Formats: sequence, C-alpha cells, structure tokens
Amino acid sequence: MLDFINKIFGKDAGSSGNVAKERLRLVLVHDRSSVSPEFLQVLKNDLIEVISKYMEIDEHTLEVNLDSNNENQVALVANIPVKKMKRGVKGAAQ
Amino acid sequence: MTEDSNSSSLVKFPGVGLDEMEEFVDDNTILIQRTVRSGQNISYNGNIVVLGDVNPGAEIVAAGNIIVMGVLRGVVHAGASGDDDCIVIGFRLHPTQLRIANHITRAPDGEEDLSQWPEVARIKDGVVTIELYQTGNHRQGKAT
Amino acid sequence: MGEVIVVTSGKGGVGKTTTTANIGAGLAGRGHKVCLVDADIGLRNLDVVLGLENRIVYDITDVTVENCRLKQALIKDKRFDQLFLLPAAQTKDKTSVNPEEMQKLCLDLQEEFEFVIIDCPAGIEQGFRNAIAGAERSIVVTTPEVSAVRDADRIIGLLEAAELRDPMLIVNRLRPKMVRAGDMMSIDDIIDILAVDLIGVIPEDEMIVVTTNKGEPVVMDNASLSGHAFRNVVSRLKGEEVAFLDLDEQGFFSRLWKVFGKK
Repeated sequence: MLDFINKIFGKDAGSSGNVAKERLRLVLVHDRSSVSPEFLQVLKNDLIEVISKYMEIDEHTLEVNLDSNNENQVALVANIPVKKMKRGVKGAAQ
Repeated sequence: MTEDSNSSSLVKFPGVGLDEMEEFVDDNTILIQRTVRSGQNISYNGNIVVLGDVNPGAEIVAAGNIIVMGVLRGVVHAGASGDDDCIVIGFRLHPTQLRIANHITRAPDGEEDLSQWPEVARIKDGVVTIELYQTGNHRQGKAT
Repeated sequence: MGEVIVVTSGKGGVGKTTTTANIGAGLAGRGHKVCLVDADIGLRNLDVVLGLENRIVYDITDVTVENCRLKQALIKDKRFDQLFLLPAAQTKDKTSVNPEEMQKLCLDLQEEFEFVIIDCPAGIEQGFRNAIAGAERSIVVTTPEVSAVRDADRIIGLLEAAELRDPMLIVNRLRPKMVRAGDMMSIDDIIDILAVDLIGVIPEDEMIVVTTNKGEPVVMDNASLSGHAFRNVVSRLKGEEVAFLDLDEQGFFSRLWKVFGKK
C-alpha cells in the first residue's frame, strides 16, 4: 500500500532524485577514501587468485566496490559468483 | 619601420604568440586586425588603430590617439602618458569607460539609447566631450 | 576588527558571485559596512552583477603591487553608501596575486569594514588558495546536482585542511516541485551527505536573471522568493535564528506527502 502511494507521489526508490543521492553517496565514498580504481583492480586480481584455489568463480561478473554503512564507515563489498566448488582442494586441506 | 626585436617590448598581447603580432603601420601607429576580447590588453607608446571591435573587459591603452573601426565597448585610455590633445574615435562609441590623459568618464547610469553613428571623444575646456564624427571641412580637432 | 568570509563552491556556475553580491548588499542594507572582494582574477564578474563595471580604474593587483592605495581601488556601490567593491584584474591571471598578499589585504580591509566577503573562483588551484588565504569563515554554495554536491564535498575537505572549520552551506537553485516529484535531491539528502550547517536555501527564480541583467542584487527585491531567501541568509549570518522558507506552494498537499513519505 505504502509503495503504491509512494509511486503515485513519485517517491519510490527508483526516482531520479534518489538515484542521484545513491550515486553521489558511492562516488563520495571513493572520493573520501582516496582509493584509486587501479588499487581496486589490483585488489580484485589478488582476490581472484586466492579464491580460485578453492572454488571456480566467474571472473567477469565479479564486483569489488567500496560502500558505506549508515555510520559513514567504509565497507569493502564483493560480489563473487561461484561456478563450482573445488572438492579436491578441500580434501587436501584436511 | 621593420619588425625588429624591439617591437616585442612595445606591444603586449597576452595569450598571443609573437608570430601573430600585428604589423606596424608606421613608426608610431599599430594596426590591430582582429576583435580585442575580454581580458586582452593592448598597450602601445603611440597611436592604436583597431580594425574590429573592442569587447567589454578588453583594454586599449595608447600614448597617442585610439581609433576603433568597429564597436568600442571596452575600456580605452588615449594619451596615457598625459597628452590632453589625444582623441578617441569609434564607429560606435559605447565604452565601459573612456579615459583621455588623466580624465576618466563613463556613460551616465541608466543610459539605454546608444548612438548609431561614428563619434569622437576629446577634451574640451577640461572635460571629455563626445561629438558626431565629421569629415571634410569640419575636420576633427580643427572645426569651429 | 571585521570578519572575513569566503564564498566558494568548487564547481563553476552554481551561483557564487550572485550569492556574494546578495549577501553583501543584504548586509549593507542592514547598516553594516561591507567590502566585497572579487578574487576571480582574469574572469571578473562581481562588478557586472553589481552594475559597477564602468567605474573601475584600479583593481586588486594594482593594490598588491602598490600601483595605488587600497582606498583608491575601492568602488562605492551606487545604492548603498556602506557597500564597497574591490574588483579583480581582468587582463592578468591568477598567479599575479599570492596568498601572502591576500592575507595582508584582508587584514587591511578588516580594519575598515565589518564584513569582508570574498568571491572565490571556481576550481581548487591557486585562485582558490588565494581566495581562502585571508578568510576566517567560509560559505560553500552548491546546487542539488550530483556534480555540484561532489565538488562541494571536495571543497569542504580542502577548507578543513586549511583550518577553515565549520563551513556554512547554501543550496542554490532548488526546485521544490521537482523535489516533491522525487526528481531532485532534497535539502535533507544533501545535508545528510555533506554533514555541514545549512545557512540558506535559495529557490530557482527567474527574478535572479532579471535583476542580474540590470546589475541589481535580488536581495533588494521585496516581492521575490529568492530575495527573501537571501535576506534570511543575511540574518542567519548575523547569528539570528530564522525559520527556513516553506518553499512548497501547496501547503496542505505537501504536509500530506510528508506523512506518507516517512520511512
């Protein structure tokens, strides 16, 4: 019901004003932490290397980004789609 | 006078390379064949003739006379080293500010109707006066 | 000793010069002795916004290189006896003044004026460093756009690094209708992100264009909403508590919206 009213009043999360705010928030997390895109790329490559030892992941859709929670703390958010677990490795580790 | 190395010290064109420098018409006059835009300053120890407009924010300073064959909207200073007899002529004389020697004038506040004729500014009885520019027998400076 | 306030934004075209002119005229209108300093050397505009462009003989660099005395370069406003302008040089560049010279200039002006308000150039290079060198307080102007708020954030960081704490924020060109429709960031959104004190909200107003065309500050126009908003900024700058304007034309409707809009 609330969603419906919000939609009528144009205040749903997809409205351009909210999109602007969300984009701005992410941009500023990066600006303020002064983390360069190159730095993130290096981090991403290292992550892929380590995780690939344990599972098969989709390197192309892997996302690593900075975000912030409500208290303005910076968080590292990674979205890593897993294709297959590598059972052999798990056994070897035991 | 030919273009020698001294000429660069006489004329300053900010943002304009030496190769684009205007040529001297004679010993004492330079010809500027372009529109002088905001932020540009042309100073010369002689007369300055501009074949173009002088836009608001531009400044022309001459020890001698200034002639603008276009619309004069910027700041001009003729007789900058103190010569009261210098004149300023413009195809359209709408300067932000006009100075001759140590006299400074500007258009009265709220003046909207700008002249549509060539005019000449000179000092008469200690004040800067602006008159229609006339040729022939009523030659400038020799009329009346 | 007067107070030196710099008006800055990072991004160009958000209304620094308009803000400077209106705050200056507003303060002068309330009986204060004010000097406006155009620090945008090479791209001066404050003179035009105030309608004083044809009175300029000397400018800020003439003062710093001691071509003339400070008093000779000050231009008295045509409406307020208490308002003066120190124009920028137009035919020079930003490097013709350095921060030390600006500092000294501000000290000299502080002796004479209750408020010295500096119009900062866009950008974060030398022009910005010059403009903030002699300032004690700062006003940051932004508009409700991603790019302008991002630049405001950067500027606030640089101001803090230069020991100019607690900048005061002005959000310019707000369009209440668009905010209501969810198509513009709201004041709350911006404050939420920048976390600074708000000193004014100026609605988008065609009267600003009209008055600027004539070289008259909109703050003198009693009929316009933006003029009213600028007068409120002046009051808050003087430490008075003034409620923010209700920019919603549809009073009841917007209240209804607020109830529904709560998270």
